[in-house]
Amino acid sequence: MIKRIQEIAQEAEQKIAEAKDNEELSKLQILYLAKKSELMSFMAKMKDMNQEERASFGEVMNSVKNKIQTKIDEKRKVLKDLAMEHRLKKEAMDITLPGENYERGAKHLFQKVVDEVSDIFIGMGYQIEEGPEVELDHFNFELLNVPKDHPARDMQDSFYIDETHLMRSQTSPVQARVMLSKNGVGPIKIISPGKTFRRDEDATHSHQFGQIEGLVVDENVRMSDLLGTLELFVKKMFGEKRKIRMRPSYFPFTEPSVEVDISCFECGGKGCSLCKHSGWIEILGAGMVHPNVLKMCGFDTKKYQGFAFGVGIERVAMLRYGIDDIRRFYTNDMRFNKQFHRE
Amino acid sequence: MIISLNVLSQYVDLKNLSVEEIQNKLTFSGLEVEGVEFLASGTNLVIGQILEVKEHPNSDHLHVLKVDEGSFGIHQIVCGASNVKVGLKVIVAREGAKLPNNVVIKKSVIRNVESDGMCCSLLELGVNKALLNEKQCAGIEELENDAPVGETEVLKYLGLDDVLLDINVLANRSDILSIYSLAKEVGALFHRKVSIPSYTIPSDKKTDFSVSSLTNGCPQFAFRVIKNIRVKESPEWLKRVLRSEGIRSLNNVVDIGNYVMLLTGRPVHMYDLDKIGGKQIVVKDDYKGPFVALDEKTYDLIPSDLVVSDGKNPLCLGGIMGSLSCAVDENTKNVGIECATFLSHLIRHTSSRLGLSSDSSARFVKGIHPCNEKEVIHLLSYLLKELAEGKEFEEPIYYDARKKEEVVIPCSYSYINERLGTAFNKEEMKEVFDAFEIRIEEKDEDQFLAYPPKQRIDLRCDADLSEEIFRTIGLEKIHATLPISQITLGGQKDHQKKKRILREYLVDKGLVEILTYTLISNAEDQKYFTLNRDEPWKVLNPMTVDHQVVRRGLLASVLNVLRYNKAHQMEDLAIFETSLIETKASSYDELCIALSGKKYLRGNLETKKYDYYSIAGLLYGILDLFGIKEGRYRLEKLTDPSFHPGRSVQILLGEECIGVCGQLHPRLLEEEDLSEVYILDLNLSALMNVRISPLKMSAISKYPSIYRDYALVAKKNVSGKMLLDGIKKISPLVTDASIFDIYEGENIGPDVRSIAIRVTYSCFEKTLKDEEINVVEEKMFKIFETLGCTLRK
Repeated sequence: MIKRIQEIAQEAEQKIAEAKDNEELSKLQILYLAKKSELMSFMAKMKDMNQEERASFGEVMNSVKNKIQTKIDEKRKVLKDLAMEHRLKKEAMDITLPGENYERGAKHLFQKVVDEVSDIFIGMGYQIEEGPEVELDHFNFELLNVPKDHPARDMQDSFYIDETHLMRSQTSPVQARVMLSKNGVGPIKIISPGKTFRRDEDATHSHQFGQIEGLVVDENVRMSDLLGTLELFVKKMFGEKRKIRMRPSYFPFTEPSVEVDISCFECGGKGCSLCKHSGWIEILGAGMVHPNVLKMCGFDTKKYQGFAFGVGIERVAMLRYGIDDIRRFYTNDMRFNKQFHRE
Repeated sequence: MIISLNVLSQYVDLKNLSVEEIQNKLTFSGLEVEGVEFLASGTNLVIGQILEVKEHPNSDHLHVLKVDEGSFGIHQIVCGASNVKVGLKVIVAREGAKLPNNVVIKKSVIRNVESDGMCCSLLELGVNKALLNEKQCAGIEELENDAPVGETEVLKYLGLDDVLLDINVLANRSDILSIYSLAKEVGALFHRKVSIPSYTIPSDKKTDFSVSSLTNGCPQFAFRVIKNIRVKESPEWLKRVLRSEGIRSLNNVVDIGNYVMLLTGRPVHMYDLDKIGGKQIVVKDDYKGPFVALDEKTYDLIPSDLVVSDGKNPLCLGGIMGSLSCAVDENTKNVGIECATFLSHLIRHTSSRLGLSSDSSARFVKGIHPCNEKEVIHLLSYLLKELAEGKEFEEPIYYDARKKEEVVIPCSYSYINERLGTAFNKEEMKEVFDAFEIRIEEKDEDQFLAYPPKQRIDLRCDADLSEEIFRTIGLEKIHATLPISQITLGGQKDHQKKKRILREYLVDKGLVEILTYTLISNAEDQKYFTLNRDEPWKVLNPMTVDHQVVRRGLLASVLNVLRYNKAHQMEDLAIFETSLIETKASSYDELCIALSGKKYLRGNLETKKYDYYSIAGLLYGILDLFGIKEGRYRLEKLTDPSFHPGRSVQILLGEECIGVCGQLHPRLLEEEDLSEVYILDLNLSALMNVRISPLKMSAISKYPSIYRDYALVAKKNVSGKMLLDGIKKISPLVTDASIFDIYEGENIGPDVRSIAIRVTYSCFEKTLKDEEINVVEEKMFKIFETLGCTLRK
């Protein structure tokens, strides 16, 4: 009997080794370890044995049983690993193919610049103010110290709608509106981005274009504060290494007025084609708010001073991103618009 | 303004100042030098004489010359010009000479023949081609026979040692448009001596002319009769000065008029006295009728045009152009000279109405020196005497009805320092005022009164004085500071924030933002759907008909962008624009989204055509983004010729339509040559103004929900929303209902569709039992029945 048991054990081991899948293993489990299996049927014979025999027979049976079970379990694991290996191989993909599309679209470059500039000034405590594009002559000119019959009001320069209305030629009327709304009490710190309109059209001029206007009105505001503010802005917008310089200029609503140049970010000031070999690029106009403007907008010029500046949105973008023609902003060729999707 | 440094240096000492120094100083004091033109340039030049001309042995067009260069000896030069000949005096660029365009002359061997130097044309010295004749352009310059051989100051000898500065005169500094004033300005800036000549030509007799003005438009008129002049060619120096300013020389009398205008900034006019009827000059503004000007064209004058007349007939369109009838010509013997003041805005109106402008009118428009007419009359007299042999000078007549108001500006030294952020002491500032002839009368240690010189019409208030300090000594003394001011809270207003969040949201969803023109054509404005039908604003003076109307909606512009991109092979587009819309009756922000073609889900491997549900999804997404819940708005069928009647809705807030969403009408698309386009057009302001309840947590039931699915056969006119709304109203235990399958097909008949709905039941107090749900279900089935739906078991 023991011999038969040994034979069965050997046979079982061999079959387990040869088993190809779990199904076969389950069959072998039944064949060898089920109660009714030949091997287990020997257990029935134990009741005819004396205690000593029973003990040693039991031991043999147990060890055979355990061995077979262990072999089956081991084999199961091997098969499982194999199956996993097989599955992984089968599941392998061409990982070079495109993934699902989660790409962002793109902000328009114009808006992107407005957002960036706005954020810089919001961080410095400025409010964003907007105003109408169909503007009253009163705000667009009169309150900005450009009286009737001033040459800057020439029909040739602005789009007039009727006697009193025109397409605003600058974002400055927003200044006047905000000042009036404050009833002569400062401080005011605003920037006003927006669309403006002038009768002009070529590679660097569009009849519609954008401006960002800044205004600070408070007690003790100085020209040096204007310089410091613009320096901060320019460094944030064009890089920490930029320097700025002022050149005297003229605008009816500021006095003194200046044009502000920044050191060329292409060549660092050595001179290149971008800066026309001067090392400097004209970037914005600015000045101390003219006392007439403050007075007309309800501020006491003995107490309050102010500075204002204006920068062209497309000009900033054209310089920074190397854009050759202002009309690209308004053509909306997707090959252009999509280029500026990154933050 | 173009100014010759040679001319300028006659009135202000420019010794030892380099062109670069002058350029920089002017630019940084508000007189930007935009261009510098050397009439000619070249170093190591000498006047030589050709002693010998031989043909070059290895060339059919080159010559080998022997040139006498005076003290520099005789040199052999290979030259290609065809006009070389023995005895000709020429300009030689010697070894080491630097010519324009970075040309440097070196000793060289040209086809085996040594050449030491170059014979030059004026072109090679950088002289503007426009100033040269054909012969001068084709060959080397042929100097006069008496040219001094060995002379090294060749450019000076030729009168070409001049530099022209192109100065951008700012609109408030029209006083600078005068050589005398510019000389004063430069003198003040460099602390150099200025010498402006002054002349008095006494009268030989009284005049029998009279002058008067019947209009406020001409408050001042100076006139003098000068007899027995001779009209002839101007001297070379005068021609040269005028040429450098771009003025053509006509004859000495006309040239003198222009020259005086350049010097003094005052436009003057000269009449042929013998062509004037009568002895009176009357300025009027009530003339009506034709006027033949010097340009031989006829202009129709109307009252308000300023006319200088002989009492009846016009002699001159004041400040703009003289009449042909009394023009100075080669036979003129006696002249009347005029120096008057015509008001700027009247000149501007007349000039732009007639499309007629002149140097004179341009100066009146910009603003002229207010009171130098006496100097001008005497300067004119002097020049007519010297250059036109004028003999009889009658007594000048000065008509003057101007109010004499002296400009006094109260100011203080501390004000200027506080405005600029500088710390100048009063001596430093006084020095500047003194240099610019601004008289200071001190009231105490700090306060003073300033009296600017008459021609400085730009100096009117204390801020103007701060600018004088700023532009002269202030620029380099201002150091960057930041405003010391109260803390202000920076930021955007609510609607600005919302708009930005919306734009970020759409960009995140893969849409591309566009920017289009606010002004569109009348046709575009009329053709397409817009959210409002208010009367639009229209521009009176458009540049083209394409940009004439202030748009009432964005659809036309968005379609233009689709069309442009389609024409450039880009048909799969998802774009949007937000913009202010203004009409005579309203003003609000609008959003317009357009979807067309397909969406790329995974490269080209998986794509999906945009359809109604794509655009509807964006609508729901935006409503959700703004926290506008169902029930706050209604969607209703849209009837508009621009939209597909079965695939579009209008969005209503109360009774107001605030947007549309859907497919554009196929007929419209056909006309536009576009494929399917889906549009969402929203009045953003209306959406952003919807008051929404603040965010607060809502309770979550701790008991499990129960889900049951129902399959219905419903008529096609029963919408999904009708069913779901019906179900949700039944009981508070129904917490959600959604459609998860729809089937339409022949198997179930043509007019119906099968709809599968999953309903969620839940309760905050307990786990629901089947019986409780069954009760609710019964009610629900009744509702299905009233909607004409049958339940599929």
